[in-house]
Amino acid sequence: MAHQLAVESSHVTADVIEAQEFPDLARRYAVRGVPKIVINDSVEFVGALPETEYVAYVRSAVEQNNGSNAEQ
Amino acid sequence: MAIIPDRDQEFLRKHFEESLTSDVDIVMFTERASPIIIPGKQTCETCEQTEALLKEVADLSDNINLKVLDISTSAEEAAAHGIDRVPAFVLKGAARGQVRFFGIPAGYEFSGFIADIVDTAAGTTDLSDETRSFLASLTQEVNIKVFTTPT
Repeated sequence: MAHQLAVESSHVTADVIEAQEFPDLARRYAVRGVPKIVINDSVEFVGALPETEYVAYVRSAVEQNNGSNAEQ
Repeated sequence: MAIIPDRDQEFLRKHFEESLTSDVDIVMFTERASPIIIPGKQTCETCEQTEALLKEVADLSDNINLKVLDISTSAEEAAAHGIDRVPAFVLKGAARGQVRFFGIPAGYEFSGFIADIVDTAAGTTDLSDETRSFLASLTQEVNIKVFTTPT
């Protein structure tokens, strides 16, 4: 799903990371179950989700970012 | 011995023949084994295997081109793609954003990788109109990290 979003939008960078090969990243992002999805280093969830719910998380990460930009 | 079993190779060859209408470049960054052992330096355990797997996939279609670069000698190109560790690769074609993989796309991830090749070539996906209109409204960069394991 992440890669599909990147195929469709020039604003999206999507990384699939093999957690066992990069234990430093797995530790930094507290990966205990997979798939673990982390959006803009701020919003995260674990497990495969239907498209609508997945995109809702992306939307909330974008809104959070907009909110923190507005505060600055 | 091939990593992808013969039967799967046949299936994939046909799948690519039917679904790839334009080219995809796989730009892989690796680390060649050094003849000099540097104490404390980590060696890339899966670089060779990842390269071998990508080569097998690229050999299944004339539309898939594999370019393998050493991260130490192609540091600028790696940085341009946001690659700071190996093995890693980027799929380039008609995708508008960046489609990157860090680590070997084996096990469960393999089918996703195959689907990504087809999507990247086409520049379109089967995402809903609602998702597309959300993506069209984006004005800022979004990074999505997906952590997986092969099993």
